[in-house]
Parts: sequence; structure tokens; C-alpha cells
Amino acid sequence: MKIVHSWLKDYLGESLPTPVQVEELLTFHSFEVDGMEEVEGEMVIDIDVLPNRSSDCLCHRGIARELASLLGTELTHDPLRQKVDLATTDRIVVTIKNPEACPRFSAALLTGVTVGESPAWLKTRLNALGVRSINNIVDATNYVMYALGEPIHAYDADLFAQVEEKWNFVIRNAKVGETVSLLAEGGKDEDRVVELTGTELLIVDGATDTPIGLAGVKGGRYAGVHTGTKNIIIEAAHFNPTTTRKTARRLGIVIDASKRFENEPARDLIPYAQAEIVKLIVDIAGGSFEGWVDEYKETKVNSEVVVPVLQVNALLGLELTPKQMESLLCRIGATIVSTTPDSFTVTGPFERTDLNISEDFIEEIGRIHGLHNIKSVEPEVIPVSEVNVRQYYSQAICNELIQVGFSELITSSFAAKAEIQLQNSLASDKSYVRSNLKKNIHKALDANFTHADLLGRPDIRIFEIGTVFDKTETSVSEHTAIALGVRTKGNGYHKNDDVILMTACDTVEQQLGIKLDWQVEQGVAEANLSAILDTLPQPQSYGEFISKTPAIYKPVSVYPAMSRDIALWVGEGEIAATVESTIYQAAGDLCVRLALFDIFTKEGRTSYAFRLVFQSFEKTLTDTEVTTHMDNVYKVVAEKGWEVR
Amino acid sequence: MQQIERGHQHPLTQMIAEINSIFAEIGFNYASGPEAETEVYNFDKLNVAKDHPSRDMQDTFWFKPKDVSEPMVLRTHTSPVQARYMENHKPPIRMIVPGKVFRNEATDATHEAQFYQLEGLHIDKGIHLGHLKGTLEYFFSKFFSGRTEVRFRPSFFPFVEPGVEVDMKLLDGDSKLAGKWIEVMGAGMVHPNVLRNCGIDPAVYSGYAFGIGIDRLGVMRHGIEDIRDYYTGDLRFVNQF
Repeated sequence: MKIVHSWLKDYLGESLPTPVQVEELLTFHSFEVDGMEEVEGEMVIDIDVLPNRSSDCLCHRGIARELASLLGTELTHDPLRQKVDLATTDRIVVTIKNPEACPRFSAALLTGVTVGESPAWLKTRLNALGVRSINNIVDATNYVMYALGEPIHAYDADLFAQVEEKWNFVIRNAKVGETVSLLAEGGKDEDRVVELTGTELLIVDGATDTPIGLAGVKGGRYAGVHTGTKNIIIEAAHFNPTTTRKTARRLGIVIDASKRFENEPARDLIPYAQAEIVKLIVDIAGGSFEGWVDEYKETKVNSEVVVPVLQVNALLGLELTPKQMESLLCRIGATIVSTTPDSFTVTGPFERTDLNISEDFIEEIGRIHGLHNIKSVEPEVIPVSEVNVRQYYSQAICNELIQVGFSELITSSFAAKAEIQLQNSLASDKSYVRSNLKKNIHKALDANFTHADLLGRPDIRIFEIGTVFDKTETSVSEHTAIALGVRTKGNGYHKNDDVILMTACDTVEQQLGIKLDWQVEQGVAEANLSAILDTLPQPQSYGEFISKTPAIYKPVSVYPAMSRDIALWVGEGEIAATVESTIYQAAGDLCVRLALFDIFTKEGRTSYAFRLVFQSFEKTLTDTEVTTHMDNVYKVVAEKGWEVR
Repeated sequence: MQQIERGHQHPLTQMIAEINSIFAEIGFNYASGPEAETEVYNFDKLNVAKDHPSRDMQDTFWFKPKDVSEPMVLRTHTSPVQARYMENHKPPIRMIVPGKVFRNEATDATHEAQFYQLEGLHIDKGIHLGHLKGTLEYFFSKFFSGRTEVRFRPSFFPFVEPGVEVDMKLLDGDSKLAGKWIEVMGAGMVHPNVLRNCGIDPAVYSGYAFGIGIDRLGVMRHGIEDIRDYYTGDLRFVNQF
């Protein structure tokens, strides 16, 4: 929610803190501040209002009231504490067919207005919020929404089909297949015609049963205010947040008005909003207020909540006195209905629809007082009372497999095709959930073998322990699986793979002390661990955890690596490390790995064989480029008097 | 014949083992639960309103109604294990749940459709926000090997009240993290409705819960830049740990 700093002054007067102080106060007591920017001389603060406060704080008055609570002061001007005394009119008839979806609907009639440009102060404020000025009437509706949080719509009264000189508003459910034409969305020229499914709520011109707007979501072109408009009807209503949200989501409409309706501002906000806009329009567009109609079918008032004194400190870990608690609650505008030595009975101000249980009020006490006052309590050192079998044995298996050269993977739980399809995956490669691990292990073997030189490994050995999903007769279940994979040759499965694989499967079985039912195919073995975990001895402790210095990850080049081998004779006694570092230096920066893979000694000379792996972060290396680097290696080797074999 | 070079454990399970050892010292049991979870445990028991946006199709992976006997999802958080654990254990309860969770959203360097979360829960008589603060300071100090301070800011999650956003600051050392506040997780006092839903009397017991992304802990500690790298099955990644 964007807030114009100077606008807050309307409500806070001289108590208004600087933008930086506002940020500081809100951050530690209320909401995160996403940013601050200057827009043509106005400081605009972008506040990430929390979901539970979106009912009262998506507006300037709400943020000002919040700041007043934090500062321990009162608002100098509060539109929600004015006495509202609007005359009624019988020239508008409102019929609510579904009070659950629309508990309150009001309409005010103003005659003789002059549509024109808005005054500069109003344009400046809207402009700072990034809202385009249209005309004084439309700007006034937007202004009151950003001021008080109540969305408002203005109609040209003369464009309605009246019946016996009366306007008729009907709020009813849409019919299946009915259409409504909605105002063009930002950046588009054409109005959007939407076909309805019957779950939506419509505002219709009762005289002709013509839909004029999708309640709470978006208004239509029908009876729009234009330059020649003289008489207007102002609508302020309350719509069910769930219905609003569902319709808005289905149609992909998120506008400032629908966002507010979705967060259910207080029903009692409506008369204050009407009073505010009537006054504003008469001020800036002239005309006279003829009266309003307020159809309030289902009232909702904040209930009284008992807040036990002991519970306040017990949850917050503070030592506040009842007097302090009382004063903190008064700061948010709550009313203490009664007190006993052990508790308060309290109600929140009407616009705070989020304060319903004692914990809600305790949170208010805690954050107004300041969460920084909470002192840390060191945890007790005590033993665990149970050891998780899956975690214990997974780690034990992992430790053993690592000893014999296997590395652990965690692969995707999704699949492009498998047994169980999800209802609503966004991505095609995530349409299904995996029913085994082996598919991913096969893929990983293929992908990793191409990097064997870069990894400095003669073969690829991998495993995963993870959850896979099973279709049962009645539902979906899951089990923990283990899969191992080995690849010794680049061109796919080779029978040597199974030698290493079966030895590793034995290692797992020895660790568990139990035989597993392996499914083996093409160098990959998979077994169900869940099936046997319960039969294993219950471990008593996790054993000692040996911590190591955390590795700092180095990004991997996306370009392919190229390998070259060199074997050379050196004098006996020339140690491998010396030769290695000489070659490494001669090979240059693009040599990312150098591995010694063969040594033997014959007739007073030693032969070392190295594999050099070249790779760039910037491009695919060409054969010629690698040869240039190797030539330098040969040159340096010759200078050392070593003989290339 | 060359000696076989050791393999490498995946950084996520390394971190999980370490997290478990840190919490085991203070009596937190390691708990696990299903990844295919019922709507009841993933949402209802946790006080997530029937019409809460997080249940929407675009955030949650739902199983097809024809495949399941009751509405089921890929769990969107590890919190359902809290509810399952509370139903089967009497307070005092100290537990952690490290586990895979799923979100149906577009992926990028900081978002994956699957990631690991660490859930923590402590329920007893007289547990308050000070215990939460002390426990988190203990954990971060161990995990990041240095004195760590924690601060709270107000926040909102349906399953806690009060809810807080947790920032941490590593006080010493020369790591990139040292000396600055970093937003790390959400936490709070378990909502009385959640306690009640799981058979625990909120008039007698209170407790805190927290949830943090393990992938993100790795980003912070190991300098991993793209969390999708955890799940590519690429040894050029795993073998660095």
C-alpha cells in the first residue's frame, strides 16, 4: 500500500513523524516497509500491510491511526469519529436479494454537480500514488478509497431507466450465461465483456434488469460519469470477501477496489465514507446533496473479549502491570468495558475487525509495547526422548555409501509422466508425482558421466533416499525408497556397472542387517525402505555429529570441458607434487582439474600420467585453444628435462 | 589399483543431520510425516480459513479427486506434522520436522516447486516468546558458528497468534553475513485453535512454532546462488560439499 507522507498530516497534525521515523516505527511495531521514493516533491512510502490488518490499514487514515497508537497520541482529525448525520431520500430504492453476499449497500444522490478538472492538491496526491486524474468526480471516489479504505463508485443518475422517478438498484446473483460489460482495464482500450457462471454477485439497474457492475470486483461502463454529467449517485457497499475474491481470481482482476473488498473493511465504515465523499464533491464539484439510502441487512459489531492479565505476560514473556496493559490497549483505541483484578473485558474500535480473541489483544499489547523488550530464555539441555528411525538409518546408509565412493542426490519429486497425475500443475514437467527413484537415477547417470573427467572420477556412483508415491485402490500413499546407480562407461549400461552396484547393495544390507528386495535394471537398483524400517532395532541415540568447515560453493561453468592426457618420465625421486604443480602452472587458468592417474617406476626413472581438464566460464573451448595450452605444457616439461612418453 | 575416493553427502541432508544434532542437545525430537497430505492436516487443523487464498489452485498442488478418498495435496509446509505429533504426544512437546514441501509456483533462482523446510514446536506450561527467542539464538549461534542475536517484528500467519518475523544477526566473524540483520523466518505462539484442534488445552499449555527454509540456510552459509541447483542431480554441485 502506497502512502503519501504529507497526506498523513491531515489526521496527525504536528505529531506526524518524518518519513524515516515512520519507517522505523512501522517496521518494528506494525508492518514491513518495502521502500520509499519521492514523486514530484511528495514522499511516498510503500508499506506491506499484513493480511490481518488489510481490513483497516489499506488507507491513509488507517496508517495515521496506527502511527498515533505507536506514538501514544490521538488523531487531530479523525473522519471515523465524526458524527454522521446524512439526510435520507426515498428517490433511490435498493433491493438486496442475497444479504449474505451483500450485507450493506448505500447510495447517495447529488444534483447539479459540475464535472471538471480536480483541484491541484487532489491531483498531486493521486499522482503521487500513481493514479491518473480523470475528472473531479471520479478522482473524489478514488481519493476517499485511499483515505478511508472504502471503495466507492459514481454513476450518472440521468443514464438510469427510472421507474416513477425513482432509481432502482438490485443486488442479486448472476444468472448462468448472463454477460456484463466491465470497464477497460489499465492499458486496454476496449471494455471487457464477461460471461458469468452464476456464482457471481451483480449490481443491476432494477428498472431494466441490466447488469451494471460485478459487485466488489469491477464496475461497468453503464451510467458512467462524463463531462456533461449533472446528477450523480454515489455507491458505497459491503460485499462478501470470499465471493469477491473467487470472482476476481477467476477473471484475473486485481484492482485496488477488489483488493479492499476481499479484505473486508468494517461494515460500519460506509456512513463515514459517504459523509466524506459527499462533502468532498460538494467542495470541488458544487451541486447539492439530496439524501442517501442505506440498506443494512446484516449488522456485525466487534464482540467483547475477556483478556486474562496472567495470560498476557505468559504468552509474551514480559512483566507488564495491569495498568500498563490497560494503557497500551487504550492507545489502539480499544474500549475497556470492565476490569477485575484478573482480567479486562475489552472491545476493539469498530474499524478493527481483526480483534476477536484474547490472543489478538495480547499481540497488540506486545507489539505496541515493543517486541524488542522480550528477553531471551536459554533452552534447557536435555536428551531427546525418541530417535527417528527413518532419519537414523538414512544417515547410517549414507555414511557407508560415501565410504565406497557414492554421492547422494536429491532429485525432483515430480515427473512428466508417471502413475499419479496432479490436478493443477503449472509446469508440464511437474504434471505427475514420481512413483520411483530409478528414472531420475538413470537420467543422472547419463548427465553426470559426461562430467566424469571434470569430477576427477573414473566412474559415476550415486544414490538417493526419498519419498515416492503409490496409487492404492482407494487413495494415494507413499513410501521411502532407496536407489543406487553406477556407470563405468560413457556409452550406457555395461555389465561391469553391476559388479560395483551389487557390492554397494550388500553394503546397505550389511549396515541394516537385513536383506532388501532390490529391483535391478541397467546399473540401477531400487528398494523399499519403509517396508523394513519398522523391523529394524530401535536406535537409542543419533551418535556423535562431526561438524566440518562449511564449504563455499563455486558456480559451475555451463560450457563443456575438454580433457587431455600427458605421460612423462622424470628422474626417480622427483615427487609427484612437484611435477603436478609445474604442469598445473604451465597449463594456465583454463585448466580446472589436474589428476594423476598412473605411476610406475622402471630402470631408475618414474612415469607419471596426468589428465588435464580445460573449461572456460565464457565460451566453449576449441581444440586449437586447448592445444595452445598443451603446447606450453610440453615446452615447460622439455625445459625441465622431463621426457614425454 | 587406486583407492576409491569418498563420495559426498548432499548439502541438504548434511544440514538436516547437523540441525538435528543441534536440536537433539536441547531435547527436540526429530519427527516426520507424509508428503502427500490431507487437506484436513495441511490446512483445517492449522486454522487456515476455508476460503484462505493459500488453498487456491495456484499455490497448492492438489491430487485429482478421483484418485483420493478425501481431498489431498502435496504438503505446502511441514506444519501438518506438528498437528499429527500433537495428537499423538502429550506435552511437554519439543520437536523439529525437517522435510520436503511443495508450492505450485513459477521457479527461479530463489523459488523452487519443491524445497526443504524446518519446522520447530515447543509446547509446555508457561512457554512464551522469550523461549522462542532464546532457542533460535541458540540454534543460529551453533549453525553459523558464532554468537547470533535474534529480533522479532510483527507478522501474521493463521496458525500463530502473536505471529512474528524473525531477523538474525551474526555478531562476530568476517563472513558476508556478519554484522547485519537478515530476515530468516516466520514464527509465533501456536494459535489456540490449533492447540484445540489437536487435543491440547490452550488454557493450560502454550507453545511456540517456527518454520525456516533449509535451502535458504544453505544459500546463506554456503553461498549457493540458485536454489534449483539442489535438485538437478548434478555431482558438480553435490561434490563441492
